[in-house]
Amino acid sequence: MSPELIVALLAAAVHAAAPILFATLGEILSEKAGVLNLGVEGVMALSAFAAFFVCHATGSAPLGLLAGGLAGALLCGLHSLVCQVFLGNQVVSGLALAIFGVGLSDYLGTPYVGQATEGFRQFAVPLLSQLPVLGPVLFRQDAMVYLAYAAPVAVWFLLNRTSLGLGLRATGEMPAAAAAAGLNPQRLRAFGVMAGGFLCGVGGAYLSLAHTHLWTTGLSGGRGWVAVALVIFAFWRPGRAVLGALLFGGVMAFQLRLQAAGTNVPSSLLLMLPYALTVLALVFSASRSRSSARKAAAAPAALGVNIEPED
Amino acid sequence: MALQQSRTDTGSVDVLPQVRLCGVTKRFGAVLANDGISLSIMPGRIKALLGENGAGKSTLMAMLAGRFKPDAGHIEVAGARVDFASPREAIAAGIGMVYQHFMLVENMSVAENVLLGQEGGFVLDPAAMRAKVGELAARFGLPIDPGARVGDLSMGERQRVEILKLLCRESRVLIFDEPTAVLTPPEAEALFDALRTMSAQGKAIVFISHKLEEVLSVADEIAILRRGRIEGEFLADEVDSPAELARRMVGRDVVLDIKRQAVSPGDTVLDVRGLSGFGLDGVSLSLRQGEILAVVGVAGNGQQPLVEVVCGLVRPQSGTVELLGHGWDAFFKHHDWDGALAWVPEDRAGLATCRSLDLTDNLLLTTRQGFSKGQWLQRARAREAARAIVREHNVQPGRIGLPAWQLSGGNLQKFVLGRELLRKPRLLVAEQPTQGLDISATEAVWQRLLAARADMGVLLVTGDLAEALALADRVAVMFRGRVMGQFSTGDAAQVERIGALMAGLSDAGAKSGAA
Repeated sequence: MSPELIVALLAAAVHAAAPILFATLGEILSEKAGVLNLGVEGVMALSAFAAFFVCHATGSAPLGLLAGGLAGALLCGLHSLVCQVFLGNQVVSGLALAIFGVGLSDYLGTPYVGQATEGFRQFAVPLLSQLPVLGPVLFRQDAMVYLAYAAPVAVWFLLNRTSLGLGLRATGEMPAAAAAAGLNPQRLRAFGVMAGGFLCGVGGAYLSLAHTHLWTTGLSGGRGWVAVALVIFAFWRPGRAVLGALLFGGVMAFQLRLQAAGTNVPSSLLLMLPYALTVLALVFSASRSRSSARKAAAAPAALGVNIEPED
Repeated sequence: MALQQSRTDTGSVDVLPQVRLCGVTKRFGAVLANDGISLSIMPGRIKALLGENGAGKSTLMAMLAGRFKPDAGHIEVAGARVDFASPREAIAAGIGMVYQHFMLVENMSVAENVLLGQEGGFVLDPAAMRAKVGELAARFGLPIDPGARVGDLSMGERQRVEILKLLCRESRVLIFDEPTAVLTPPEAEALFDALRTMSAQGKAIVFISHKLEEVLSVADEIAILRRGRIEGEFLADEVDSPAELARRMVGRDVVLDIKRQAVSPGDTVLDVRGLSGFGLDGVSLSLRQGEILAVVGVAGNGQQPLVEVVCGLVRPQSGTVELLGHGWDAFFKHHDWDGALAWVPEDRAGLATCRSLDLTDNLLLTTRQGFSKGQWLQRARAREAARAIVREHNVQPGRIGLPAWQLSGGNLQKFVLGRELLRKPRLLVAEQPTQGLDISATEAVWQRLLAARADMGVLLVTGDLAEALALADRVAVMFRGRVMGQFSTGDAAQVERIGALMAGLSDAGAKSGAA
């Protein structure tokens, strides 16, 4: 492989990693607050359509992005309502959300299949893009990728350096302790789920606004499920989420190039690669979490457990 | 000003009480958990609330902490009447509680746990948080690493984190519910030191316990709670004998007049010799058919391991245990579901029954061998048997299709007792059989046990001396895993000594006992 090819491959990996990173960070926020949201796939699909629709209608990519985020927050608000007000099972509600979101986006999007929209275009950052290797890989991307560089830092800061984040984590670990400290765990959970939904929605918006620039069905393509698995791989840490997202983005970009290069390997096997990697990643994190790093790598203690009303 | 100074300096009793309970009463259904309790809690003093399990200590403190509202009477804080609608309001009024089960986030640091909910700013400064908590810990003599993860700490250290949470909220009254239950002896000593430091700095401290020695070593004032009422209140210096405290705590007033018919004793059904290990120290006792042997003592002095060995949960380490004339190994290898051993555990809702199974299934828990044909359960017969128990023991409401949790404690206990008696045991172990029951249920259980002893030997483990004296033919007093004395309940001189024996004073009143 020539150096140019490698640089192009790396740039494609970063590009492919961005939507997965947004969704993984969103799910981390939700799970840190104690709510398991398996509906990421549906959230991404629906917000991809919302972003496409608004961008298509107004011609404004930032408005489209905002619409995608809001659609994600609203859909996750539904999950929060089911789980926290009606004490529904988080797994069941999440799965329903995944199916509902994908179905609704297909239904609403049918008239628009094949239509294009402007969305976000790539632009080079002055100076930084002149760096060897790093320049073309990191700094000749679109605005949403640059946003993706800031997102993990922002999520980390929120969780670890703000009182809101401390409350969120306490709620995910032991809602009773948060309540005893005078916080409102229900409200904190609702915030975590919806803020997480907003990030997942941004990930979905990326797909229609920066990845394809046109509407097709099945745009989310399993990325939501990968994000759910990546949260475990990342041990619920934003920093490791970056690593995981890049790994997956890399594999996705690599299999596309291989297909384009016309190898003898059947394309269905290549398409399978990212998901095979998902399984491997989960096995890896499960074996890690049995070892010494277990305590730090453990899931939030109250993850998936609804807060029962007192008495 | 000068007057004020001298008053607080001496820490004397004429300071305004921090908290006052005025005739507080609370009932749960038919059970009177607290009956007209009046107490004053003073700043700078450690008040111990001494009482057996089920005496009403926890209910009283739950009202102080705002979890329950009193049915009658009221609470005053610093002279003003308060009505707490929630725990939050009690905390705001300066009343903090350290529960037996800690409310801590294991995956967060000590400083994060302490400052949770009162960080004082949106952006956190971890170094400043650690410094603040470290300073607070140093001021009150509670050594701890503020940066440590709570999940890595010992129980004693976690308790310190709970205390720091209260101190950080500037609680003026700190309530400790059985704080030493989870601590090792050195940790308990460290806690007592911290309690003294906090009280010297003007905090009012309430210490709930059933352990005499602890209470005597740490408290300034002692209030004894028994069956929901204050049985006595004294300054710790005034107490000249722990025996008196023990006697007052368990009481011996006859609540019920029960007629006992003499039964002539039969074969020995239980013979324990030199049993040691699991906190037991050379326990020897024997029980014959037709007898009730009451094992009395303050909870936690070896009654539980004794029951666990006798009921086959743990294998005796040293010493011999013979049941119905067989060795322990042989007995538990072969014993039948009926005609042998039955057990009415203390934890009737957890160990004796499954809360969401109906009465028929709960009956089958211990008797299924009697209701099966090969692999098949004979449910119709079991239902009939359950119905018979409900009728015979007057279990209310009398529907066998109800899950166990819908029965009150007394009715569930009557059902459990009926189930175990159905097994026609020759040895019955009954643990705290009337704890938390109202008078009528207590009487029903007592009558059953007395009648049952004609066919079996009954080992009655109880913390209630009145119960022991009403039912038992003989009493064995336990203290720190040892049997301090074993005698007939007819021996008045020996019965006088029970309080002393429970407090571990074997030579107290030895002269009168020598006869």
